[in-house]
Amino acid sequence: MSHLHIPDGVLPGWLVMTGWLLTALILAFSIYRTRSTELKRKVPLIGIISALMIVCMTIPIVPIAYHINLSVIAGIILGPAVAFISIFIVDLIIAMFGHGGITVVGLNTVVIGAEAFIGFYLFQLFLVIIGRDSIMWSSGLAAVIALIISTSILVGVVYMSQINPEIVIGIEGDHPTEVTSEANIPDQLTKGINIKSFAKTILILLGIGWLLEGIITAFVIKYVSRVRPDLILPQRT
Amino acid sequence: MDVAIIDYYANHGTSFLHKAKAVSKIVFTALVIASIILTNEFYMLLGIYIALVTIAVWTKLPVSRIISIAAYPAIFALIFAFAVWNGSWVKAGVIMLKALSAALTMVLLIVTTPYPDMFNVLRPFLPRVIAEGLFVTYRSVFILLELTDELIKGLKVRGGLTRRKYLKNIKNFSSGIGLLLVKGFDYSEKFYGMMNIRGYGGRITTQGAKTSINRNDVLAISIGLLIFVITISTIIDKRFLEFGVYIMACSVVALVMSSIYQQFQN
Repeated sequence: MSHLHIPDGVLPGWLVMTGWLLTALILAFSIYRTRSTELKRKVPLIGIISALMIVCMTIPIVPIAYHINLSVIAGIILGPAVAFISIFIVDLIIAMFGHGGITVVGLNTVVIGAEAFIGFYLFQLFLVIIGRDSIMWSSGLAAVIALIISTSILVGVVYMSQINPEIVIGIEGDHPTEVTSEANIPDQLTKGINIKSFAKTILILLGIGWLLEGIITAFVIKYVSRVRPDLILPQRT
Repeated sequence: MDVAIIDYYANHGTSFLHKAKAVSKIVFTALVIASIILTNEFYMLLGIYIALVTIAVWTKLPVSRIISIAAYPAIFALIFAFAVWNGSWVKAGVIMLKALSAALTMVLLIVTTPYPDMFNVLRPFLPRVIAEGLFVTYRSVFILLELTDELIKGLKVRGGLTRRKYLKNIKNFSSGIGLLLVKGFDYSEKFYGMMNIRGYGGRITTQGAKTSINRNDVLAISIGLLIFVITISTIIDKRFLEFGVYIMACSVVALVMSSIYQQFQN
């Protein structure tokens, strides 16, 4: 568990819809980008990488539900655009298994997709800065930083859930105060979240996960670069 | 997340939910999840959860296994519940119940519906690459699960995973994942070749069973509709909230009776 799946019914509707909208836009862009390459050839590869991510999620590392998700590896192998498609498929399938909310697949995809996107570009950057011989360090560091950023995005999402959307989009006027004070409005559920306490809890819990995922990513990429370097380096940059 | 067991349940069940069409079960799922999202009433959510456990009993599958599969999101929900903790257990309980109920609804769908049927329903709403990616992913999961099983056994037999040698274990385990990735890539190339031979031109064709709506479909949709209508009633008219405890009590009675009936049947 190097990242956190948001459950159903916790976040307000406007934020959930924003997540779906963002995912739809990024997916449309990703499909447009990959259209130039042979998309039908990509389908089996997307299938295998997505399946590998799902299989790795079924292997617990230490007994508190830790699992690796390989999102950064997916980014490095597939490139950010195809990796985003793959991550959407993974999120959709695991939501069907009750692992993360089905209504928040959009938001979860944005958060985990950010790992693949950031991981891919950081990996390329570190290869240039540290040198191509340090592929292990580059991938490990990229994974850890990508996970820290994706967790920050998650904390940001939870923080945003406490903001009144009408204030965000600048609507002012008569607000029926008795409605907003009702306890039975879903949007009010996250109002009581102590964002500091939430951030502290997930930083403590996920910190170990980042380190594990970073080390595993580094060793996996090192192994693949030795056995099949063509999967990582040449045209994919 | 036991993918193989879930797939076995979906293909070998004989309950009314197994016999209902995938689209009816998706409507049922959508109605129940909408109810879970819309209500923040503790007793209502507890009632829905118990009702879902009752439906799990009706599926004639191992209920404890289904509940444990659907309990995984509790870990994530616990973090949210901990963050809203203000001395009152109700709000934390609401978050936990929402996550558990939504997960159980999805698990009920997946343990009673074979994946090709479900993906066939979703296909018209998804871009082609995603729809086909779903089919290929699900198929590949079982191949990789077998490879993973062999890999872990091999690592254990050859001393690759030994106690107290954590870094060595992680290194060997990671190399194993790397091997899976390389094997998977080779497999995807072969898979593409095989698909081409069979006439793949960028579209996987599937054929869903064309059957008319039967009483199982009506029952599945009716249960979903009942839960939804009760939930909406408690939201529109707050006086219905007073019946929250009774709704929960009815769910408990239904669960007990269903369990007893199931025992007699067995």
